[in-house]
Amino acid sequence: MLLICSIVVMSPGGLRFVPAVLILAVGLALSARAWRRALGLAATATTMWVLGWLLPLWWPNALVAIVALTCSYLIRFVATVGVGMHLIATTSPTQLAAAFRTWRIPRPISVTLAVMLRFFPVVGAEAAAVLDAMRLRGLAGTTGLVRHPVLTLERFTVPMIAASLRASEDLSASAILRGLGSQHTPTAMHPPRFGSGDLLLMLACAALAVASLVLPAPLT
Amino acid sequence: MIRIDHVTWTYPHAEQPSLRDLELHLEPGEFVILCGASGSGKSTALRLMNGLIPHFHEDGVLTGAVTVDGLITADAELDALGLVTGTVLQHPRRQFFADTAPEEVAFAMENFGFPPDEIRARVAETVDELSASVPVGQRLRDLSGGQQQQVAIAAATAHRPRILLLDEPSSNLSADAVRRLITILAGLKARGVTIVVAEHRLRYLEDLVDRVVVMRDGAIDAAWTAADFRAVPDSELAREGLRGMLSTVQLPVASASGASVLGGTPASDVPEGELELEAIRCRLGGRIVLDLDRVSFAAGSVTAIRGVNGAGKSTLARIVTGLQRSAGTVRLDGKALGRRARQRASAIVMQDVQRQLFTDSVAAEIDLASTDAPRTPRTALDAPPDPTGILDALDLGALAERHPLSLSGGQQQRLVVAAVRVQGRRIVIFDEPSSGVDRRHLRSISDQIRHVAADGAIVLLISHDDDLLARAADRQLVLTPADPALRQHRSSKEIR
Repeated sequence: MLLICSIVVMSPGGLRFVPAVLILAVGLALSARAWRRALGLAATATTMWVLGWLLPLWWPNALVAIVALTCSYLIRFVATVGVGMHLIATTSPTQLAAAFRTWRIPRPISVTLAVMLRFFPVVGAEAAAVLDAMRLRGLAGTTGLVRHPVLTLERFTVPMIAASLRASEDLSASAILRGLGSQHTPTAMHPPRFGSGDLLLMLACAALAVASLVLPAPLT
Repeated sequence: MIRIDHVTWTYPHAEQPSLRDLELHLEPGEFVILCGASGSGKSTALRLMNGLIPHFHEDGVLTGAVTVDGLITADAELDALGLVTGTVLQHPRRQFFADTAPEEVAFAMENFGFPPDEIRARVAETVDELSASVPVGQRLRDLSGGQQQQVAIAAATAHRPRILLLDEPSSNLSADAVRRLITILAGLKARGVTIVVAEHRLRYLEDLVDRVVVMRDGAIDAAWTAADFRAVPDSELAREGLRGMLSTVQLPVASASGASVLGGTPASDVPEGELELEAIRCRLGGRIVLDLDRVSFAAGSVTAIRGVNGAGKSTLARIVTGLQRSAGTVRLDGKALGRRARQRASAIVMQDVQRQLFTDSVAAEIDLASTDAPRTPRTALDAPPDPTGILDALDLGALAERHPLSLSGGQQQRLVVAAVRVQGRRIVIFDEPSSGVDRRHLRSISDQIRHVAADGAIVLLISHDDDLLARAADRQLVLTPADPALRQHRSSKEIR
């Protein structure tokens, strides 16, 4: 579904679908009781809409035009990232792998995606720790970023990648030893089933998709 | 069960072989400790037994043969070896694949295609055993080091392998967690599992072990039977760079008041100090994680911060250094400081020091730190020390042109300490600096901590390691979870 959303939104007439995907993302956040995420998404999208569509009407000039163009592009990202965040927050890597297996998705793809899902939080934690260390060394201030943007970025990315790589080595060694990607046909402790909740979600998605095609598009 | 015959192994891009003509045979059901100083090859020998060597390191050079439960490791697939061995790496938290304990325990069985009914039965059984000391519903990353260790062992043995390999299992554990580890290993041994442990600390396994193998420079230097080992004096262990007994320390208790303090005193009894915290309260995710009425720390002395996981040790460090918002005031030399000012006045030596090395050479790292040093010395006495002198004192002088990430873990740690000393920060926090180090390195770390304190800094040392605390700390502040519900769940006996 994430993939479908990304394709639909990013494609050249994709702005038509942005409101629908945004509603979906906020709805998913609400269903997981992640109030802050729902609010944050709605707020970001609104800001972008104001900057990208309303501001140029009030005060048209070159700078505002650039900002507006950027925002009208970025709002597509907001929509897809919103749906993606739901996946990362609620689905564990093993559940995802089991779901892919029932859909008969080829092993290389499902293992790769499951490992990616596992790895996002690791990278996030490493990034936060490196940022902390930079703040204590006085390297993370905005003045430094403005004066030496490349150097500051380098100082952030090099330790982060090094630390992430080390963590990933342990993770993959342990996962392979415990049979990830082995020739045995994997089974699942709780085989995933297509339940009534999933049906409801699918109907809602279909309704949103039809609505965005039929109703006049507000953002184009 | 395991036969290692004349094995020599060289890691890719390494100049020297890590194992030289290693010869080791293990009987079924035997319990063997591999020990030796850092870099002696004990972890490498462990990786030889689960097939990570040679399969996980392409381009390494292996001669000789390793047979594990009838499989020749060089020819077998890695997952076939995984089916007969269980491995627990040094940092359990880095090897978890799932989010919760039941999923983690099921992981290997799912991949090896066990029938779902059997998986559910075994997971239920394992979770039942774990639930005595582990909150199994919680996310794995929120568990304490000891609890993560227990889950990692359960996950490694759920598919009933006949061999269990552990890499420094006691390195991040408190004394109480070590006792639980002993019970678990005794249970596995009774089931007939062959167990190999690579370790620095030895005495805690004295009653379980059948054989102790001492490694040096990639070969076997000495081997003791269980009876011999009990007779070996501690001085002999010291000569091999090994850590013997778990020492227990009795440090004077720092007087402090607040709900987070175990055995707190009234606020009026807390003496004045260069660093004072007053009415610090911090809430994260809707629950109080730290609640301190009044605590003070003196310059030039080392205060150990102890307590169970979730007691607020790292939150305290983040508040003192200004990385975490909180209510209350932090005063340094009598002046209340905001978060920014605290960030400029403090430094942390992190557990993973790789995260705080930012430049492309050792010299550049020190230069970067010295641009940050105070312009005017605070007093004539504690002027910031001279950079090259510090590098030489920490044995880094010859490495000035090397890339920081190419150094060994111990060298990286010393480099961070050197940078902190050049910066001349007033508050310095060490976060678990001694996890998984041998006796010699332990002494060097405690010396560094002492030097930083002698420079006039206020030093906080977060550590579970009694050996280190006995050498480096002057007094201790023991924290306990501020939330009463949590305090009941995690018994305070874990620290004494």
